Amino acid sequence: MKLSGAQIFWIVATIEVVMGTWLTITPAIQTSQQDAWISMLIAGVTAVALSFFYARLSTLHPNQTLVQFSKTLLGKWLGGAIVFPYFIVWITLPAALLRSFGDFIHLVFLDRTPVSIIMILLIGLSTYLTYSGGITGIGRFAEIAGPFLYLSLILSFVLNAINLRWNHLLPVFSESGWVTIFKGSLMPASYLAESFTLLVIVSFMNNPRNAPSQSMLGVGMVALMVFIATFMTILVFGPDVSSKLRFPFFMMVRSINIMEFIQNIDVFVIFVWIFGVFAKLALYLFIGSYEMAAWLNIKNWRKTIWVGAAGIFILAYLIPNQTFIGIYPIYWMYILVPVCGIGIPLLLWSVTVMKKKLAKSSVE
Amino acid sequence: MMRAGKLCFVLLLIVSNASGCWNLKEPDQLAFDVASGMDITKDGQFEFSAQIAIPAGIGMAPEGGGGGKKDFIVIGSAGKNIYDAIQNLQTKVSRKIFLGHREVILIGRRMAEQGIGDLLDEFVRNPKSEMRSRMYVVKNADAKDILSLEPIFDPITSTGIVNKQETSGLKKYYFRDFLSDALSQKSAIMLPAVSLTRTPTYLYTGNAIFTKHHGLKLAGFLNTQESFYANWIVNKQAELAITSFVYQGNGNVSLHLESVNRRIIVKMLDQQIQIDVRLTGKGSIVENNSSLNPATPKDLQIIQDSLNQSAHASIQQLIAKAQKQLKTDFFGFDESVRQKYPHQWKTLKSKWNETFPDIDVSVHVNLQCKNMGQANSSIKAIP
Repeated sequence: MKLSGAQIFWIVATIEVVMGTWLTITPAIQTSQQDAWISMLIAGVTAVALSFFYARLSTLHPNQTLVQFSKTLLGKWLGGAIVFPYFIVWITLPAALLRSFGDFIHLVFLDRTPVSIIMILLIGLSTYLTYSGGITGIGRFAEIAGPFLYLSLILSFVLNAINLRWNHLLPVFSESGWVTIFKGSLMPASYLAESFTLLVIVSFMNNPRNAPSQSMLGVGMVALMVFIATFMTILVFGPDVSSKLRFPFFMMVRSINIMEFIQNIDVFVIFVWIFGVFAKLALYLFIGSYEMAAWLNIKNWRKTIWVGAAGIFILAYLIPNQTFIGIYPIYWMYILVPVCGIGIPLLLWSVTVMKKKLAKSSVE
Repeated sequence: MMRAGKLCFVLLLIVSNASGCWNLKEPDQLAFDVASGMDITKDGQFEFSAQIAIPAGIGMAPEGGGGGKKDFIVIGSAGKNIYDAIQNLQTKVSRKIFLGHREVILIGRRMAEQGIGDLLDEFVRNPKSEMRSRMYVVKNADAKDILSLEPIFDPITSTGIVNKQETSGLKKYYFRDFLSDALSQKSAIMLPAVSLTRTPTYLYTGNAIFTKHHGLKLAGFLNTQESFYANWIVNKQAELAITSFVYQGNGNVSLHLESVNRRIIVKMLDQQIQIDVRLTGKGSIVENNSSLNPATPKDLQIIQDSLNQSAHASIQQLIAKAQKQLKTDFFGFDESVRQKYPHQWKTLKSKWNETFPDIDVSVHVNLQCKNMGQANSSIKAIP
């Protein structure tokens, strides 16, 4: 199973952009109001820097995934124990995504279809892709679906150009100030820091030297899209309305109305969005089962897919309601990202560097 | 055998999903609500009226008398809130009410007086609701009365009401724009109003003013002339015509402004707010009954000056009305102050209604006649 540089780029760009444009805009606008776009810029720069760090750390251990290099670095037991939080992420994040998106489709389009059916279709197809194609299949899928996803995003921006009310942006900066703007950037940055999945997938690259540049490009492109989406949401609805909308970007797509003729293109945008959700589910399923196999020393990682898929589905099914999922981003931002996105990678990185120095000095 | 079975299963799955039939409602199972009205009935209940298009009727105009089908019906139903009323309405209609094609939201007089601030949620929260609608207030009747009117040009009244916005020279103002005004820090907002005439038909009668401190309640109306100027100040007017008597030429001149612009400049001197309203407009002369010849620079200047003065006087009168009579800032000056002085605004905000009547507002109008039309001096019968 091998990945090219372009595939890494599209994987990162595809899996992150859906949640980015879908769930980060409202929290940012709630905090920093009309200056949320500045928050998004800060979040984007932070996320790009973080993704460089992840890709770099991963290239220090060529051909080893997170669990593998953690085990070689820290030994079988400690190295195995320290990656445990990642499994929580790899199960809970896709579960929350699956349920949220299922609920969303149920709310907006298929109101007479049970959420569980929508979720079974999504997870079923993702399982198929992961099982048959592995990471290469996901990479190829992202390579094809990604450009469509971005095209649909850009189209929705362009078609909204006539709806913009520029005075919504004023006053710039002075009402919020740096502290508020930084606070507003935390949630989007934590979502974009999801790129710590790179710690696993970079090991599959043909040419790992490209990893930092390609992943930074990917995250950068996502950040750019999220920034434009936020900026335009503010300009279309104003900060007061957008902070109350749960899916402001979707509402913005819905408000497209050109010459009373081009309307209701939300269906097409959602259609393409599903590609992104699907790619993300498949990727997490792959990472989860591959790493689970590495963790438990199971030879054939495909056997663990069924456990992962069932686990994700059951967890998604058991979530009582959307209000409950609302807690997840907070838990994500304050616990999961600091631990899995910053704490453990930093620890692994410092151990790597120390070991290298020790090796050097012992040679001398 | 195993393979074929698998293939059949997959194909079946694809067909059942790709068609999406289980969730489909054919148009002939739906009742399309093209315009919604919100009223308070005489006994104080909330009433929601829906103008429902009858597709079978449209395009089958009765030829030579004869009873064709009607193009629409208006059905009203009371309820505790909007959705409750729609539920009650559904009992009267055999098809499922579909709100996705609503073009107009009308607010009846009594409803406007009671306040509409608490009735905005459904439009956003309910995914089946529609936010691309235009909004109007009915000045002298219930929304239901307007919806039930016999249309003149179009098969359905709502189309005409939508077009009223553009034919009155207004910029497009959707429900979402209204919503962002309603949730902003502006203390008052304006909505276009229609009124019922005795004929009976409806006409555009300027703006209704809503104040926010008691939950978006009707505070008054502006006549059409005042509304044109008010809309100009709040940047909602796309074009307008100004007619004024030119004293030097002893006759009227009409100028059709094709592009209008505005700037509101806020200054703060010794804690005193000064607002300068700068209005500019460019257009062409469409009627000249005066003895002046706009082909000569001198006369053109006289015409422009005279039009400027007349617009200036009207706008000052309007501002005086806002400050002294209505005591409401429906120009959005509060928003301009907030944008320019966000820090001072925090203290000004709570007492804006008391501050506003005494604020120094100056007006500058600059109209330019870019084109004099198809004649030079006035076409007049010589006595």
